[in-house]
Amino acid sequence: MRLLTHSKSGWRYQLSRVEAQALRSLMKLFPTTAHVAVRITQTDTDPKAAEREKLLNESLAEHREELRRKALHLMSGDRLRLQHDRYVLGIGLEDREILLQILNDIRVESWRALGQPDDLDPPANLSQDEQVHHNRMSLAGYFECNFLNLEEGREAAAED
Amino acid sequence: MVSYTMMVAQVIPIHSIGASTGRPEKPLIVKPIVCRGRRMDAAQNPLPVSGRHRTFQGKTICMPSIAEPHTVPTPTIENATRSDDALAPTYYVVCWNDPVNFMDYVTHVFMKVFGWPRQKAVKHMREVHEQGKSVLVREGAEKAEFYVHQLQGYKLQATMEPAE
Repeated sequence: MRLLTHSKSGWRYQLSRVEAQALRSLMKLFPTTAHVAVRITQTDTDPKAAEREKLLNESLAEHREELRRKALHLMSGDRLRLQHDRYVLGIGLEDREILLQILNDIRVESWRALGQPDDLDPPANLSQDEQVHHNRMSLAGYFECNFLNLEEGREAAAED
Repeated sequence: MVSYTMMVAQVIPIHSIGASTGRPEKPLIVKPIVCRGRRMDAAQNPLPVSGRHRTFQGKTICMPSIAEPHTVPTPTIENATRSDDALAPTYYVVCWNDPVNFMDYVTHVFMKVFGWPRQKAVKHMREVHEQGKSVLVREGAEKAEFYVHQLQGYKLQATMEPAE
């Protein structure tokens, strides 16, 4: 995977056939798990915390649903095209943010499904389900790193 | 709170006393007295009132007429009330460490959500990574809640904690 061009209008990445297929599969899978309620505060002194927490979880569930709808469009024919023997993914600024959020959601939720381990290396005795979650976590991380580092490595170099 | 500062002068007409005792006449002694913190009643005021006569050791003495201060300072009055905004509780938006979010991703999110330059975003990302958490901003409830929604939307572990 490599960055072909970057302009104000967007980015063009080149992906191998295998990468394109894996990215498509991940996008189709999203959301990989049901929404898990999160806490809005770690202290119990705020009387409005319960109300705020309810609102936060409703908002996150809606946000996820919105991401799911957009995930399907991201891998459509006009964005991911086969050119010769490689795929070219052309995305705008908003698309890139959505893509990063979806990939990170898959990564974080897979990690939660694995029991939130501190060590992300796979242990020897993974069950089949755990292996699936681990593969998703790793694959989402691979794309996330590439989308971030290919662009932001360039930005950081420009700032230096 | 109202504070008063008043500078007054105590005048002792030694010349009249000196004349009766046969001692040499001494110049007028003027002692400045600074009173702070409260307004003095007329009874407490050590100054003689203009045109007043008093007796001292059996003699009637005339008090000089410089009793009242020429300038009365304007009291400084602090506002006793504050606006609702100033009294409203504030919250810290805190981001907590986890082993799953990439450092580059956390930096990217801070730049997007807060509009920070990379350097500041990296500083806070390092705080999260090395100290387990970073206080990102201090805001009123509504804005703090907005930031928590944004950060949680990116799957960062963010909370709002009362600032006081």
